[in-house]
Order: sequence, then C-alpha cells, then structure tokens
Amino acid sequence: MSDNVIEIRNLSKVYRDFWGRPKVKALNSLSLEVKRGEIFGLLGPNGSGKTTTLKLLLGLLFPTEGTVNILGRPAHDVEKNERIGYLPEESYLYRFLNADETLDFYGRLFKMSKAERKKRCDALIQRVGLQGARRRQLKEYSKGMTRRIGLAQALINDPELVLLDEPTSGLDPLGTRDMKDMIIDLRNAGKTVVMSSHLLADVQDVCDRIAILYRGELKVIGSVQELLESREETQILTSELKPEAVKDIEQVLQRHGASLKTVSHPTSTLEDLFLRTVAESEARPGRRFEPGERPTSGK
Amino acid sequence: MVVEIEPFSLGEGLLYWILVMVAAVIVSLIVGFVASLAAYGASGPRRVALVIQNGIKDLLFLSPRRIYAVALLTFKEAQRRKAFMIGLLFLALFMFGGWFLGSGAASDRAAKPFVIFVMTAMSFLLILMALLVSCWGIPADIKARSLHTVVTKPVRRSEIVIGRMLGYIGVLTLVLVATAFCGYFWILQKVPANAQDQLIARVPVYTPKLEFLDRNGNPGAGLNVGDIWEYRGFVEGGTNARAVWTFENLDVAQLKKAGELRLEQSFEAFRTFKGDVNQQLRYTLTLLNPTTKLRIPIGTYSVQEHSNSAEKTTVTIPAELTYRDSYDVSATEKKVQIFDELFDNGSLTVEVGGVESQQYIGASKYDMFIRLPDRTFLATYTKACLGLWLLLVLIVIIGTSSSCFVKGPVATILTGSLIFVGFVFRSRIDKVLGDLVATSTGPIGGGSFESMYRLLTQMNAVSPLSDNIGTRFIKFLDQGVFGILRVVNAMIPDLQYFSTSEYPANGFDVPWATVLLPSLAITVGFLIPFIILGYFSLQLRELEHK
Repeated sequence: MSDNVIEIRNLSKVYRDFWGRPKVKALNSLSLEVKRGEIFGLLGPNGSGKTTTLKLLLGLLFPTEGTVNILGRPAHDVEKNERIGYLPEESYLYRFLNADETLDFYGRLFKMSKAERKKRCDALIQRVGLQGARRRQLKEYSKGMTRRIGLAQALINDPELVLLDEPTSGLDPLGTRDMKDMIIDLRNAGKTVVMSSHLLADVQDVCDRIAILYRGELKVIGSVQELLESREETQILTSELKPEAVKDIEQVLQRHGASLKTVSHPTSTLEDLFLRTVAESEARPGRRFEPGERPTSGK
Repeated sequence: MVVEIEPFSLGEGLLYWILVMVAAVIVSLIVGFVASLAAYGASGPRRVALVIQNGIKDLLFLSPRRIYAVALLTFKEAQRRKAFMIGLLFLALFMFGGWFLGSGAASDRAAKPFVIFVMTAMSFLLILMALLVSCWGIPADIKARSLHTVVTKPVRRSEIVIGRMLGYIGVLTLVLVATAFCGYFWILQKVPANAQDQLIARVPVYTPKLEFLDRNGNPGAGLNVGDIWEYRGFVEGGTNARAVWTFENLDVAQLKKAGELRLEQSFEAFRTFKGDVNQQLRYTLTLLNPTTKLRIPIGTYSVQEHSNSAEKTTVTIPAELTYRDSYDVSATEKKVQIFDELFDNGSLTVEVGGVESQQYIGASKYDMFIRLPDRTFLATYTKACLGLWLLLVLIVIIGTSSSCFVKGPVATILTGSLIFVGFVFRSRIDKVLGDLVATSTGPIGGGSFESMYRLLTQMNAVSPLSDNIGTRFIKFLDQGVFGILRVVNAMIPDLQYFSTSEYPANGFDVPWATVLLPSLAITVGFLIPFIILGYFSLQLRELEHK
C-alpha cells in the first residue's frame, strides 16, 4: 500500500466564462504528494490556488488537466468520501439546524447506526466545546462557534484524511489555539491533515510539511523544519549571562573564526502572552496587572 | 358538466414512453459525444463513456438511508422556514370565501360553488407552493454552498435529487392533507341543508356508441342547430327522429344487485318558438332489446335543462316493470323483468325522442348514462385530492430537476410554463402534430422545408410538387422535423387528466381508469427521466465554478 494519501500529478485548472473562453488559470501543473500521518500546509497569498486545490481534491471542481488520487481513488469517486473529512472555508452548513441536528444529519450520510451517531455527536460537541449551545440553531452562532461545529461535522466519520480550508480564519486567539491543538491531536491519532492558510504563524506551529503556491504554481515544498532552518548560523540558548561571560564567549568564538552577532533575551509570541493573560485572569478573577508586570502562568 | 373522455391505454402509453425515451437517449448521446469532442478533442468520447458508466452506477446503487436523510433535512427546512404557514393562508381564504359564497346562490346549484372554491383554493395555493419549494431549494443550497459540504460526504448526487423530491413531496402531502381535511368539513358545514343531497358521487357508465335516426326513422346524423361546437346532435321533436345509445359489456349482475336501473341525462334544449313557458321540453324514453325486438316505453320526462339536481334528471326503472306497448292508456299492461329480458348479453339500447314539434333535444354520447350505486362524497373528494396530489408530485419532479441546471427564477418560469402549456395547449398540440404525421400528403404547403422551397420557387401551397430525389429529400426532412416536434411535445406533460375538481363539484365519482390511472402513469413516466436529467445536471455541474 502506498504511503501517499494524496497524489497530484500535473494538475491544472482554468476557469472559463459562459462561452468557454479561458478566464483565469487558477492552477498550473501542480504535482505533489501528501504522506500518511503528516500535517501538510498549503500556503500562498489570496488567489494563489490553495482553495482551488482543495476543491479539486474533493471533486467540487473538475481538473482541466492532470490527475488527482486520494486514498488510492480518483477525486470524482464518491466512495472515497467515506474516509475524508472536510472543513470548508466558511463552514457552509444548514443554518436552520442546531448543532445536534447538524451532526446527526451528516452522520446519517455515513454508515453509522443511531447509537453510533449519538455517541459520536456527544463526543464531538464536547471536543469542540459547544455543550452549552447544542440546541441553538446555527444562524445564532458566532463565527468561532460556526468554525467549531464545522470541524465537528468534518470529523463525524472519524476520517483518515482531514482537509481544512483556512481552519483558523476568523477565530480569536483562544479559538485559534484550540483549533491548532485539535489539528495536532488529529495527527497524534494517526490522521493525515491537509490545511490551507495564509496565516503563516499558524502553519508554522502545526505543519510538518508545507507547499507554497503563488499564482497557481508550486514554488516551494518541504518540511517546515528544513525550510526554515538557517545552516549558516548557530543559535545557543543559555540561562541569563553576565557581561563578562558574554565577553569570554566572544573571545572563544573569535578563536574558532566565528563572530558573535547578537546577544539578547528571547521573546515569546504575542499569542503566548495573550493566552497567559487569559489563563491568569481566569485563575484569579479581578486581578489587574501593573504597568510592566507580566503574567507568568502559562497554559 | 361537459364530459370529454380521452380514452387511455396503459400499454400504448408505455410503448410511446419507451419510444420517446429511446429517442431522447439517442439525441442526448449524440449531443454529448459531439460536445465532448469539441471541448476535449480525442479524449472527449472516453470522458462521456466514463460519465455514463458512473451515472449508471449512481442511479442504480442508491442508499435509502441517505435519501431518507436528505428528505428529512428538506422536511425540517420547510418546517423551520415556516412553509406550513400556507395552511393559515388557506384558512383565511375560507373565512372570506364563506362571506361571499354563503348567500345568493340558487338553491339548485348551491353545493357546486363551495366545492369548486375549496378545490380551486387548494390547487392554487399548493401548486404555487410546489413551484416555489421545488424550484428554489437546490439553487438556494448551491448559492449558500451548504450543498458543497453535503457532496463532500459519500452521497451520490442522484440521492440528493431523489431525497429533495421526496422531502418536498412529504411537505406538500402534509399541507394537502391538512387543507383537504379542513376543506371537507368546511364544505359540509357551509353547503345549505337543501343542497346537501348534491354532495354525492354518482358512478356513471357511459357508452361511446350513439346513433341518430332522422325524422323518418332512418339512420342519419343529429341535426346541427347552428352551433360551431359539434359536441351535441339535435333530435327534432314530434317526429320519428331519435337518439339511440347502445351500452355494451355491462355487468348485469352488478346492476341487478342494485334492484333498479337508473338512467340519467343532461340534454340540451333548443326551441324554434317559445312554446309553453311554464313547461320544459319533454322527451320520451324507450328501452329496447334489438335481438328480441322487445320495446318498452318507459315514459315521458322533462329535460330539466337548468337543473343540477341529479334526482331531477335521473329516471329510475324498477327491476320488474309494468308497461304498455304504446303510449295509449287503453293498451294492455304487461310485466317485464328488465335485467333478464331487456339486456342482451350485457347490452342495452336506450332510445330518446322529442315530444314537442319544432323543438329539439340536444344529445351527446355522454348525455345519457347508467348510474351505478352512488359512492360517498368523501370518496370522490378524496380521489380529487389524490389527483391534485399527483399533480403536485409532477410539479416537484419537474421543478427539482430543472433547478439542478438553472437558477431558481428560471426553474420556476420553466416549470410553470410546462404546467401551463400542459393544461391549456398540450391536447391541441397533440392534435396538430397527429394531423401532420397522419395525413399521407402532409399539411397543405408541406412542412418548414417544403414551405421554404415553395417560397423560393414561387409555387403556391396546393400545387403538387414534382416527384424527384430533391423533393423526396425535402419531404423526408419535414417528416424528421415532425418527429422531433413529437419528441419535444412528449416532454410536456398532458395535464388534462389531472383536472379532477369538476367531478366532486358536479357530484360525480372520479373515475380510476380514465382519470387517476393516466395521471399516475404520467407522473411515474416523468419521474424516471427527470431523476436522470436532474442527476446528470447536478453531476456535471461544477458546484464551485467561478
């Protein structure tokens, strides 16, 4: 059995107008593979072809040229969908249903018994944190809640492959963190995840490999670690040093033909600061931080 | 009520359906292959073959579970979007309708407007609702992109089409049952007490065999009194002119069981002078057995031309009848067992003549019928509602399928037009096309190609064309055009069978063989090709196309 969950060969997509004249070439000879058990990120600016690629994978669009195989089947094969979960960019769900009904409806489309559906619905609603809103119609949901129920419906069939289109789009930092945690959990559970995003930090946080598209063409592909690593420089992280120690180190470096470029204190991300602040505030309601004071408790 | 029974043969209908399906499939395949060649070059036909192969699989291996899920979703959607509020509109109509219909109607016709009102109100509201829900559902789903999430699950698009259809049918059925239930009790409550006897379901036995005798008693045609409409022939009163109906293949045992023979008429009267204003035109009724030559004058009755009361227009003849050979009161009385002595192998002949000279009795094939034991009004009302339900199902089928390839407003116009043409023009188009193909020489001036040829050669419409290979080819092309027109015509449902409201309104039972069976056959006949059409339209559509 091939280790590749997705195989794309020379995939091109040309959007045409009513008269069949080419309008936009959204994708140009894209070839890539996604391996089993990895989190694969499709990156690129708006209009680079990320969403088009996902839609071609799902059979929502037909390729102009090239082939797409998912889980060993062609993209137009309906049966492949038994093993796939998809979170669309805008969570296109039925707004007149509530969360329970939504998950039950999508569960009915798979070979799931009533008891299985019930169990799965309960678990997923718990997982995405919508217990308090499960009886409310989706039209009353906020953007973040809609994304959560969208993810829940994508996971209703416990899929092998999960396709996520801009999963963190529109989410607040807490929601983003939750979503990223859930994506990592999926990988830890042996699932393959393909996500498209233009939020680079999110992709960097969770993806094992990425592909960068620009104007429909594949520009870069590889593991995040390899692509981001700078082999011309070395970074050493130590406990806090006194100025004399820094001078000694500089002399050692000179003896080895290297030079000290910067000495600074590492900074955490804004996301970490935000999450620590929220966690501290939840732990001690009413607490206010003095100017310059930083919350210390992390998640 | 004007009765025009279009004979319906299920076998012939099925054969015609198969022929049209085969023609449509051949045309679709040709168009598909040509279009694919143009779009994809040499690989085009292979793509078409793949689409057909997948299509067969998708149409045959359907999952009832998923269809049920989509149907249930549709039902919930209608419920949450308050589609059932249409029932309240219906109730409001009842309230206002009651004010206008409750007074001023002639007592003789009182029941009819109430029944017509209920049936018409139900038809209009539900047809409108069927059009809107079926034509707008899938386009709205595509626009909101909620369908896109559904198709990323293991759902065949055929299941979406069928599930949607079943959901809409479920919603409409519920509304129809609720409104029909209210309508029934409204009729019972509103129809005046002296007209309640009109709420019946007469079961007529018609005969297509009507002959006329002229004023000398010789076979002839009914007189035309100046009507363009030749529905009725007229019999001159005070002469030997007669209208003679021959009923055949009657179930005598069934008639005998009723213990009496009931004959009902709906003649028209035509006067050449006013006559006695206080007396209606009269006719004589005679039964005869042509084999034994037994003639039994039953009596003289008035035409009751303005009456809708079935009791007034019905002649009831007991099983054992005392009669005289002639209208002479001094003639000897005789007794006859009508079911044993008058019926000849299930046949009965009925003769009607006019009494007053220079007055005429207008008779059509359907103006004299045998009345079998009546059924209840509830039975005919339920059957009429069943006819309406079949119409709604047909609208849903056409509407849902068309919404798979055009947007909501266009699908509504398309479906509405098909329904309108099906009701108003279909039988006329049938007749015109039938005439074109049936006549050996074709229409005067030929078809479009022959007409063009005549125009270019400045030849008039009636001069025969010279017989050569060119003119034969022109005629061949015209016949081809007629054939295509017939196939296109077959895409329009023949809705004359679906008009069921006249039956309960006029106190008749809705017949199964000539109304409900054809309606059912047409609905099923449209269901299969339109599911296929809807499936391929949705399957070949790029849902995310920009």
